Amino acid sequence: MSAFLTYLLNGLAVGCAIALIASGLVVIHRVTGVVNFAQGTFAVVAGLCVSSLLGLGIPHGVSELAAVTVAAFAGLLAGVAAIGRRGTTPLSSLIVTLGVGVLAYAVEIVLWGDQPRSAPGLAGSVTLAGARVQTQHLLVIGVTAATFVLLALFFGRTYLGKALTACASNPYAARVVGIDVRRMGLLAFALGGLLGGLAGVLVTPLRPISFDTDVTLIVNGFAAAVFGALTRPVVTLAGALLLGVAETMAAGYGYGSHQLEVALGLMIVVMIVQASRRSTLSQEVT
Amino acid sequence: MIGRIAVAVVAVVTLALPALLDDSALAVYILLGLAAMVTVGVSLLMGYAGQVSLGQGAFYGIGAYTAALLALGGVPPLAGLVAAPVVAAVSALVIGTPLLRLRGHHLAFATLAVQLILLSVAGQLEFTGGDIGLQGIPQFGVGSWEAGGAAAYAYLTWGGLALVMLVTRNVITSRPGRALRALATSETAAASSGIPVGRYKLVVFALSAAFAGLAGGIYCFYTGYVAPGSFPVLISIQYIVMAVVGGLGTIWGAVVGAAAITLLVQGLDGLATLPGMPSYAPTVLSYAVYALVLIGMVLFMPQGLVPALTRRRRRLNTRA
Repeated sequence: MSAFLTYLLNGLAVGCAIALIASGLVVIHRVTGVVNFAQGTFAVVAGLCVSSLLGLGIPHGVSELAAVTVAAFAGLLAGVAAIGRRGTTPLSSLIVTLGVGVLAYAVEIVLWGDQPRSAPGLAGSVTLAGARVQTQHLLVIGVTAATFVLLALFFGRTYLGKALTACASNPYAARVVGIDVRRMGLLAFALGGLLGGLAGVLVTPLRPISFDTDVTLIVNGFAAAVFGALTRPVVTLAGALLLGVAETMAAGYGYGSHQLEVALGLMIVVMIVQASRRSTLSQEVT
Repeated sequence: MIGRIAVAVVAVVTLALPALLDDSALAVYILLGLAAMVTVGVSLLMGYAGQVSLGQGAFYGIGAYTAALLALGGVPPLAGLVAAPVVAAVSALVIGTPLLRLRGHHLAFATLAVQLILLSVAGQLEFTGGDIGLQGIPQFGVGSWEAGGAAAYAYLTWGGLALVMLVTRNVITSRPGRALRALATSETAAASSGIPVGRYKLVVFALSAAFAGLAGGIYCFYTGYVAPGSFPVLISIQYIVMAVVGGLGTIWGAVVGAAAITLLVQGLDGLATLPGMPSYAPTVLSYAVYALVLIGMVLFMPQGLVPALTRRRRRLNTRA
C-alpha cells in the first residue's frame, strides 16, 4: 500500500511537469493556432542553464529565476521565427518550430556538450502516511498547482490575459477592437517558453537532462494537450496527471521498458477518437 | 526538347560517376541516392496528398530490418530486397488505416510517435538484436554473382531511384494523380466530386513507405549492419528538410534537395574535421545547417528551389 502511495505521488509529480509543458503548448496553440514543436526545447534550455548557474555557485532561487527568464526569451525568439513573418500558415509554422528545435541542438551542444547534466534540488524525503516521498517531488506538485492558479487568474482577471483570450476566440474581432494580434502571439510564445522553462527547472534535479531529451518531453506534453484538444487547460492538466501516474505505475510494477509505448499509444487512440467525432469540413474552414 | 536532353545528360553523368569516384566519395554518392529515394516519397506525400509524415524513417527502418532478417535467415538477397518495400508498404497500410483519419499537426505527431514506438520495440526484442542490432548481413547478389565493391551498390541505388522516380511520375500524371492534388486542397470538395479520399491517401502513404523500404533494403546490404540507432528521429526530419528545399510535389525537386543537403553537410563536415576544430564541430554544423536551411526555405522560398528556378527561367525566356 505504501509503495502504491509512493508511486502515486511520484506519478503526480511527473504528471505535473508534463502538465507545465502541455500548458505552454495550449497557450501558444490557443492564441496563434501553431503547435510549437520546440516546447520541449525550452525545458531543456532552462534545465541546462540551471545546472550551469548552480555549478558556478550562484544560490538557489536566483539560478532558477534566471534559467526561467532565459527560457521565456528563447520562447520569444521561437515566436519571432514562427509567426514573425506575415502569411505563415500554422503548418508552415510547425515546420519552422521543428527547425528551431534542431537549431537549439546545435547551440546546446556548443554550450553544454552532449552529455546529460543534472542539478541539485531540494534534498531529503518526507514520510506521508507510511510512504517515503522525495521533497523535490512535493515541490514540483506545489509549484505546478500555484502556476495553474496564477494562470487562471491571469487569463480571467487581467486586461492582458483577456486580450490573449480574445485573440484565441476570434482574431478578427480582436483586431477590430484594437488588439495587436501578432504582438499577443509573441507574448503567448514567451509565456509558453516560461512555462516550459519552469518544467525544465523542476525536472532537472529528478532526472538528468541532455540536449535530445526534448523529444520525450514534447511528445509527452503533446499527448497530454491532446486530451484537451489543444485548447482546454483543465482537461490538459487532468490528462497530464493521468499520463504521469500511468507511466510511473507501469515503471514501478515492472513494465518500465514500456512506459513510452504506453504514453504514445494512449495519445494516438485519443487523437483518433477525437478525429472521428469531428467533421472534415469544420477542420478545413478554420 | 531541352528537358529530354537534360534528362539524358543527367542519366549519362549518373552512370559514369561510379567508375570515376573513389570509395569515400562513392559512400556519399550512395547515401545521397538512398536519401533521394525516400525524399521522392515524402515529397509525393506532402506535396501531392498534403499529408505530413514525421515518421518516414520508420519505414526506412522496417525495410532495412526486413531485408536484414531475411538475408540472415538464408533467403536469397534479391528476395529480401523485394520483400523490403512490400513489408514497408503493408505496415503502412496497417498503420495508416487508423492514423490517416488524422490530419495536419495531429498526423505529424502520430507518425513521429509510431517511429518512436518502433525504435523502442526494435531495441527490446530478441530477434531484432536489441539495441546492438543485426550484424554480419551477407553481401547483395543475384544467383552466383555477388556485389563486391561500392560501385555495384551505387548502380543498385541509382537504378532503384530511377524506378522510384518513374513510378512517381506515372502516378502524378494519371487520373488518381489529379485526384490527389484535389484532395490536398480540400478533402471535402474532393470527396463531393466523387474521389475516394480515404483510399487514395492510404495508397499514397503505402507507396511512399514502399520507396523508403526499398532504400532501407539497399542500405542494410551496403552497410552490412542495422541497429535502432541507424534510424533516429532526426533522419525523418532530414527527409522533410530535403523535400522542402527541393520543392514539395516535384520529382526532380526531391533529388535536387537531397543532393543539395547531402553535399552541403559533407562539405561542412570536411571543414569541421580540419585540425584545430573542436570535436563536436561536425554534429553542431550539420544540426545548424538542417535548422537554418529549413527555417529559411519555409519562410522565404516556400515553393522550393526547383519551382523557383523554373519560374525564373520562364520569366527570362518571355522577356527575351
